[in-house]
Parts: sequence; structure tokens; C-alpha cells
Amino acid sequence: MVTPVPWKLLDDVSIWSQNWSWIPQPTRGPVEVKRSSCTLCANGCGIQIKMAGGWPVGVAGVARHPISKGALCPLAYGAHQLNWHPQRLTTVRHQASTSSWAAAQAAFSKACSEGTVVILDGHAGRAASTILETFAQKCNGSYRFVPSPEERALAPYQEWSGVATNALGYDLENAQTIVSFGAPLLDGWGTPGRFTRLWAEQAAGKTEPQLRLIQIEPTLSRTAARAWQWIPIREGAESALSSGLASIFIEEGLVSAKYPLPLLTLAEAADQSGVSIESIRSLARTIVARPPVVVIARDANPEIAALNVLLGAIAAPGGIVVKSKRAKPFLPSDSVIGSARAVLIDSSVPWEFVPHTDAEVFRFAAWDGGSNRADWLLPAPGFLEELTDIPTAPTSAIETYAVAPALTQSSSDVRNAVQFLSGIDSTLPSIEKIIRTRCEDLFHQHTGSVYDTEVSPLSKFESVTKFEESLWKGAIWVGVPPDATRFRCELKEWPAPTAPPPPENWTKTWAAPVLPPLASKLYQESSLREPPAGRNS
Amino acid sequence: MSRNTLGFAFGLAVALVVGWVVFPRVLYVQRAQPFEFRHKTHADKSGVADCGECHAFRDDGAYAGIPPTEKCTGCHSEKIGVSQAEATLVDVYIKPGHEIPWLVYSRQPANVWFSHAIHVKRAGLNCTECHSTYGESDQAKVYQVNRISGYSRDLWGHSISRLHRAPHDGMKMSDCEDCHRNHNVEVGCLGCHE
Repeated sequence: MVTPVPWKLLDDVSIWSQNWSWIPQPTRGPVEVKRSSCTLCANGCGIQIKMAGGWPVGVAGVARHPISKGALCPLAYGAHQLNWHPQRLTTVRHQASTSSWAAAQAAFSKACSEGTVVILDGHAGRAASTILETFAQKCNGSYRFVPSPEERALAPYQEWSGVATNALGYDLENAQTIVSFGAPLLDGWGTPGRFTRLWAEQAAGKTEPQLRLIQIEPTLSRTAARAWQWIPIREGAESALSSGLASIFIEEGLVSAKYPLPLLTLAEAADQSGVSIESIRSLARTIVARPPVVVIARDANPEIAALNVLLGAIAAPGGIVVKSKRAKPFLPSDSVIGSARAVLIDSSVPWEFVPHTDAEVFRFAAWDGGSNRADWLLPAPGFLEELTDIPTAPTSAIETYAVAPALTQSSSDVRNAVQFLSGIDSTLPSIEKIIRTRCEDLFHQHTGSVYDTEVSPLSKFESVTKFEESLWKGAIWVGVPPDATRFRCELKEWPAPTAPPPPENWTKTWAAPVLPPLASKLYQESSLREPPAGRNS
Repeated sequence: MSRNTLGFAFGLAVALVVGWVVFPRVLYVQRAQPFEFRHKTHADKSGVADCGECHAFRDDGAYAGIPPTEKCTGCHSEKIGVSQAEATLVDVYIKPGHEIPWLVYSRQPANVWFSHAIHVKRAGLNCTECHSTYGESDQAKVYQVNRISGYSRDLWGHSISRLHRAPHDGMKMSDCEDCHRNHNVEVGCLGCHE
């Protein structure tokens, strides 16, 4: 202990252990930085990737990105590590044994000839989505979209207004009070960087923040811990509390128009939610105290959505707005899956989605989330390993378009669903061709701006080629918001109470999350942050 | 003096000698550079006045590091001296077009990211603040490699105790932290580890 031997050996051995042969090492070589969009979820945050010798070695946010504004989720910061994750799929697996691409294609072709196939997509609106839909149409199958909880939360407005769910978004930037019914706004909801940045600029650490976040949730989640106000309620009582709030809004004249009263009385709402009548009354007054107000549900819940209608948050600044005129409604997948001969699930569909069917399931995935969820498990490209385009993020208030090119190659034989189907039907269009067509469509509209190293109006671009080139290099096109006033939402009667989903035995379907080491560390450390000094709860 | 005390004193003396004298000599082994390189000769005879003339920044602002062989070819396409080093440079590397496998004194482990551009261009640090006056040396420094970690001794510094070191001696994480603290520059984990 009185010599440097143990201390120096400890240091050297720890460094030596970083260089064991089985630990992936970035290639030594020229370092360059490329800009792109994150493809881990449908939100497409702007990222800059540090490449060493042609391999990604670091991910950071792009400060000039109009939506994410330089912020990223912990997963994205370590996304370059995901491609080497131990759960990375590298071989085709059929019922837990190794198979081949040829065998998988033969099995899928056979299924197409024997009956109906259903193709499920998790990020609708991409060039790849068009190809998947085209294939489904050609083989008389069905193309369906598996919406995220954020998209499902917008579904009631589609029913009441006729505007497609994916054409709607939240104008968070203009809201002054956000009431979240369990939506993890500070924990990966929507475009993670968008609200994190907004909250950091307008609310973090302030006793009287410019933006009030009221979190209504049974547990003290990460979002609840940082919110301006946390309202603890009983599990599954969100609908009851929203009914109670609606009753007070109407009874006390806190909202201007006359609306149908909820079926639940205030006393019943208080009893079911575990929040006293006085507390509900106080909460209702707090909510309307600082408009514009928008209410966000964690998942589809018409009663919570109805609060936005009452509060006048539909088609209003700081509320729910229409971002696109082009979107078309999605059809539910449950009705067609049951009678299908085969179901092909794109890698964009999260592992949590399990089709309840006896059909043969072909599932694409870059990482193994449990082989018991598919007959065929097909290794898909990982992070930055495939070309894709990034249409507008689900919760965004404005239309965007970006391209994420393949910046690196996989070390194993991986294919995405489009490559797989193109091997069966060679007449399918390519992703590059569809991206080109979309760029042409946008270019000929002459609207919107392109966010590159600087912001330029699209009309300044000389040609489609120049515009497309800039998108391939990491720029993002941002559209012009359509006229929101044309969006009307009618609430003829208060929605019927939504029964909370029955508790699931999650241990049967739980799979270890695929996290890069860096994300685990960042996530742990984020728990150590102090909540805002003046938070009321 | 009892026998136990004598034994303890002897053991302590052996431990001290082994720990402070023998261990550092055994831990590091010398490696020869591909051939002799003299920074001073290049500064004096070729008029290379600034480190950045060879250790340049690329157009995108990134630091290019040790110059490629192509850079040497500008002057050494043919032998311009009679030394063994000149012959090796031209015959072994320039004419066949091979890159010179220099042993880099300051090479960090792969999990460390260091931006020369930020430190030199934005912070305005001189090269000598980290690399000492090596750029003026008349002889290539002896390259000592750690037998266990595989990295240069320059990272730990030449004092095994790391006490009483010159400011530029050592490139461990604590050295980076000290320098940042001295310059009142905050840095988080992700600044260097990505």
C-alpha cells in the first residue's frame, strides 16, 4: 500500500479490460460529423453523428433542428451502441431455430397464395409504408397501421371532427397550461426533445413558470416529480376525474359555451378518483387560470379528450391543431388480423404489440424482444443501417419531411421488410424513387422552409435535385401550418365512461429492454436531479 | 531491535524499492519509432514555422492529426539526404505509398473523444500546453508503452507517483479535469465520453 503498485495496476488493468478482443472498438480513421434524423421512433429528432473510419461513434442533438432543438432522449444519445447489443438479431429464426432468408421468403410467398396477408406498419407515411401498402394491395391483402399511445390519444378527435388522427397535433409551444393525464411528457413522450427543451426553457426550476405542467397520475413518475403540480389519483380513475372537472367547468361557468353534462356526478367522480370535491374544484380553477390550456391523455380516452372541447382547445393556438391536409385516416388492424393467413410485422412496430391471431407471423426486428412473439423472426437493419424518410412526427403541430440515409452497414445479413418483399415481387418501387417523388411534390408546392445550417425558403432552391441533396445531408423541410379554423369538433353528448383496461400479467410478456450502456447511465443520473423548487403537490 | 522489527523494516525496504524503482522499469517497455524524425530540422531547414502546417485542420474544422505520407512526399519524393532515416522514409513508405505507422505518444483509449478544434480554435490553447516543446526537439522522444494497458507512458506521466509533475506531463482524465477547473470551463461526461 505504500508503493504505487496496487494503484497503478488497478488503473492499467481497468484500461486493459476495455480492449479485450470481444469488445467492439471503433475504427481508427478520419473523424467526420454527419447530420441526419433519428429513426428509433417515429418522431425523427435531429441528430449529428460522429463517424470514425466510417463507423458511428457518437450521437448528439442538432441545435438548429426546428422541432427537437438540440435535445434528445437518453436512448438516442447511445443509439450508435445499439448495433452491437447482445440482443441484436443476426440470423433468420423460425420457431426458435436458425433458418434462412430463402426459406422465409418461400414461406411468405406460400402464405400469400393460400390466403389473406396483413402487413402491419408502425411508422406510417414513410416511403417504405407506401411500398408495404402497394404489396398488400397487389396480393389482395391488408395494410394496417399500429398507432402509438400518442396517436391513439388523438383518435377521439377523428371521430368527432372527421379529421384524420395523423393530421392532428399539439401546439405545445403556444400553450401556457398543460394538463397531462399520465402522459410521460418528460420521459419520452412525442418528440422527446421537443417538450424537454420547452420545459427546460419555460418551466425548469421556476416557482412561477411560464409554462404550467399539471400531471395527473397515480404514481410519482419522472414527469410527475418535475411537474409544476402533481395530482395523485387512484389507478384507472382518469375518466372519473375528467368527468368531475367537466362538471365544475360547466357548473361554475368556467367555460364559455354550453356543453352536455357528464354522466358521473361530482361526488361520484371524487369518490372514484380519490381526489376530494374541493381539490377537484381547485384544480378546475387552476386549469382555466392561465390559458391557452391543452389536455393530453396517455392513451385513447374520449372523456379526457372531451375536456379539450370544453376548454376551447380545439383548432386554437396552444391546443389541438391541424398540421396536414394530406393525411388519410388509418383503419384498425384487429378486424383483419383474426382471419389472416399470415401477418407481416415491420420492424417499426414496437415489441409491445402482439397480434392476437393464429396466423403465421413474420416479424422484422433489429433486436430480439422475445422470440415467442413470432413464427419467423427476421433480422432487420439497426440504427443508421437503412435508408428511410421521416414524415411528420405524430404529435407535431406542423408538417415536416426529412431523409435519414444509411450511414453504416450491418456486419450480418439483415434485410428490411421492403427488401424482403422486393425479393418476392421485383416490380415494387424503390424507397429512393418514392423519396424523389415526394421531394418533387414538395418542391412544386413552393411552400415551407428548409432548415439546414441556415434556414432558407423552399422557393429559393434552384431545382428538386438541390432540395433533395440538402435533405440527404440532414436538412429538414418544415411546412406552413394550414388554416386551423376550418377544424371543428362537435361534442353532442358526453362520451360514455371508458372502462380501465384489466390489469395484465405483464410478467408473461415482459422482455428485457434493449438499452445501450450510455442510456442506462443517463437514465439513472436523470433520477438524481432536483425537482423544481416551487412544485406544489 | 527485535527480530520482528528487523524483518518488517527489511520487508518494507524491499517493497519500497520494488514499488518505486523496479516496478516502473518493468511496467514500461521501449518501442522504436519507424525511423528517426526531427521536428527541429524541419523547422530550421524547411521553414516550417507553425505546427499547423503539418498537423493541420481540415476544411470542415476537424483536426487531421498526424500528417499522411502524402504530405511528406511534397519534399521527400526522392532522397534529400544520406541518413538511414531518409532512406527508410523514401524506400519503405513514400515510394510504395504506405502510411507511416507512427507510435503516437498522446493516443487515448477508444472511449475518449478529444477535440483539437475546440481546444485550439475556440479556447486558444497553445500546442505546448499539452505537448510541451516536443515540436522543437532535435530527437524523437523515446516511446514507452505500458505492458498491461498498451498505451503510451505519456498518458500517465513520467512520474509514477504523479506528484510534482510539469503541467504538460500526463494526459489522464484528472489532468483534463484540472485544466478545465483552472480555466473555469465546465464539462460533463458526454464532453469526452460518447
